[in-house]
Amino acid sequence: MTESRMQDILRSMPEELSDKIKSRRVKGNEMWLEVELDAFAQVAAHIHNLWGASIVTFHGVDNRIASNDLKLVLVLALKGEEDFAVLLTSMDPEHPSFRSLTPDIPCADWYEREMHDLLGMVPVGHPDPRPLVLYDDWPIEEHPLLKDFPAEKKVQRLPSSYTYHRVEGEGVFEIPVGPVHAGVIEPGHFRFSVAGEPILNLEIRLGYAHKGTEKLFERLTYEKGVFLAERISGDNSFSHSLAFCQAVEGMTHSAPERAEHLRTAFAELERIHCLLGDVGGIALDVAFNVAAQHAYIMRERALDLNDYLAGSRLLRGINCLGGVRMDIPAEKLQRTLSELIRLKLDLKEFASLVFGTQSVLDRTEATGAVSLVTAKDLNLVGPVARASGLDRDVRRDHPYAAYRHMSFRVPVRYEGDVQARLLVKLDELNESISIVEQALGGLPSGAILDRVVDVEEGKTSMGLVESPRGELVHWTISGESNRPLRHKVRDASFHNWRAMETAVLGNIVPDFPLINKSFNLSYSGSDL
Amino acid sequence: MADLVLALIQTAALLALAPLLTGIIRKLKAWMQSRRGPPIYQPYLDLAKLMRKGSVVSEDSSWVTTITPYVCLISMVVAALLVPAFVTESLGFLGDLIVLVYLFAMTRFFTALAALDAGSTFGGMGSSREMLVSSLIEPAILLSFFTVALLTGTTSLVSVTSVIATSGASLIGPALLLAFAAFLIAVLAENARVPVDNPSTHLELTMIHEAMLLEYSGKDLALMEYSSMVKLTLFVTIAWSAFLPWGVATEITAPALALGVIVFLAKLLTLAVVIAVIESSMAKLRLFRLPNLLTGAFMLAFLAVMSYFVL
Repeated sequence: MTESRMQDILRSMPEELSDKIKSRRVKGNEMWLEVELDAFAQVAAHIHNLWGASIVTFHGVDNRIASNDLKLVLVLALKGEEDFAVLLTSMDPEHPSFRSLTPDIPCADWYEREMHDLLGMVPVGHPDPRPLVLYDDWPIEEHPLLKDFPAEKKVQRLPSSYTYHRVEGEGVFEIPVGPVHAGVIEPGHFRFSVAGEPILNLEIRLGYAHKGTEKLFERLTYEKGVFLAERISGDNSFSHSLAFCQAVEGMTHSAPERAEHLRTAFAELERIHCLLGDVGGIALDVAFNVAAQHAYIMRERALDLNDYLAGSRLLRGINCLGGVRMDIPAEKLQRTLSELIRLKLDLKEFASLVFGTQSVLDRTEATGAVSLVTAKDLNLVGPVARASGLDRDVRRDHPYAAYRHMSFRVPVRYEGDVQARLLVKLDELNESISIVEQALGGLPSGAILDRVVDVEEGKTSMGLVESPRGELVHWTISGESNRPLRHKVRDASFHNWRAMETAVLGNIVPDFPLINKSFNLSYSGSDL
Repeated sequence: MADLVLALIQTAALLALAPLLTGIIRKLKAWMQSRRGPPIYQPYLDLAKLMRKGSVVSEDSSWVTTITPYVCLISMVVAALLVPAFVTESLGFLGDLIVLVYLFAMTRFFTALAALDAGSTFGGMGSSREMLVSSLIEPAILLSFFTVALLTGTTSLVSVTSVIATSGASLIGPALLLAFAAFLIAVLAENARVPVDNPSTHLELTMIHEAMLLEYSGKDLALMEYSSMVKLTLFVTIAWSAFLPWGVATEITAPALALGVIVFLAKLLTLAVVIAVIESSMAKLRLFRLPNLLTGAFMLAFLAVMSYFVL
């Protein structure tokens, strides 16, 4: 970001707001504004609304050791630019409260509830101040991400109950589903209010997979953190470790060019196996098993290809700070490229099988529609956003790894229904295959690893990756002895989960699993 | 005496073959999905496994939950006594086609009640959906039975079978074929097959028939599953015996019986293939589209009756 650009943004503010900005500076492509606590919400809303910005991450940092305050960090991506605005404010640890952003920026909702749970920061004026990630019987005054909360501490559990929204009326029933489901899937509670089969309201309750991941990061050195990042959300291993490495490399030095190309190829290989699972799942949920098995066979071959290239079906153990551990030698290229061509042909066959079957179209069309307005309000990311007409893709908007050198299309559709998501995912699969071909075809020579040894204390950085589910963020501030002072992870699912609640409205109960599958969100990544 | 023994052997064969038919359909579907699939005798092993296990019964449930598996099993065994498969002998004096329809209805009624009994959400949803489906398909079944009853002048299934089987091809006409088509849709709808229901899903929210069995486990589940398998076999057998029974042994001689058995097995296999192909070539219908399909079956059956009078 240039100095003049920052001035533009500052000049657009009314004087009573710009007076509240304590300090300003430009750091790379980020504009850092330190705002007084009482004007934080207004400044954020101003930039968000006037400059069409979207929340990248919004979290608290317990900075009591260094400056005896709790910090609030809001990262906004400015529309149509590669730049970010980082808003900071600090609050008194004795009275940690701030004016809620949610009334102005709906997407801040879950972020603020999470902050309240984990750090005890109270969003005043929040429309829905119920706990989000902590267990029902967790004592409300214990906040596990505070520095004086030891990770080993066992808290006294206090039985309490969570209040759900109630829909009342004649013939209205509640259907509680989960958190334990019949299939081998993650835990999540879905509470439907229905009148017969049509859904009047859905309330999603997550947090059952909360395991203190962010706290755990603070205890691990950055080097070991890569392995934890790989395990945040099983099928997105590579995206998470990549975002983590990028965040750390942002504080030190970047990876060699060959490593960046290899990372691009592996990131797309991950997208391929994830999206194949997604489209297969959609076919399975409409009970079109033949097509589903076609997709699963392709997915299995993609996983085998990963194993052949990297010795790991889920691409674990490849990323490390400063590059990758695994090179792809030239003699492996031929089989890889021929596999990809085979995949492309099979995909075409799969698409004609699915879209040539009228009963599949009937199930997917107009089912679970998300409007563009909702997509914007909830700040949706990834294929779900792109199926609703929100044209955003980190690979293009904030290029990382070697994406700057890749030529690809970002498929966008406007219907926002299950079929649009299916089509977007199928189109993306083809783009991904092409990106792998480009990345491996033009592999630059040179080293693949420039090891990061030490991370200086007090630096901040952010890694943004387009995971198969969408924009994924690792934000970190370094502490002493190569460990983060605070490491914030924000999976794509954290934004997209909320869209499900609106997507199902007016649909019928037996279509819910299909809508859910077309989103295919991560519980573990969202609950952390 | 010989006819009675034959009738009992026939019933025993139907009861014994039921899991095999399910196994064959699963195997065929697996092949169409490029999978190897479990062996065709797997349903026997599954049932044997479940029979060895204890049942967990909800504390909130009443006697309905306890007796339903037996009611289902007994009605299916009684129904099996009435259905001619390879020889036109059965204990047909026990009841006619109408009794048969209501034996199936009784199974459904008790299954739906048992699903509501424990008060679980999925059971309630399953019951309400099953009632939706059955209220639409039952008239179609009755009308298609009326068609053959009109054609043959009797409502006894054994007599229907032997009259059609002995009267040659002259009976083949729009009435019989339309009624057969209507009954085929009923076979899918009554037995929780795609496109009406998905027999192989784990998604409780989409289930119809399976949702009603969720509260059952162990031996009780085995009985319920077995009843469903027998029901499918009976429907497939009735589809042939009531509408296109040619090949069935109408006299008790060795060659006729041998031919009857072979033709019966071939017929079972044919419909197994048809069901597997239908299940593999289309997705399940949206719940609220089901009335279109099911009233379609009713219309076919209605036209069958009409064409009997008009043509």
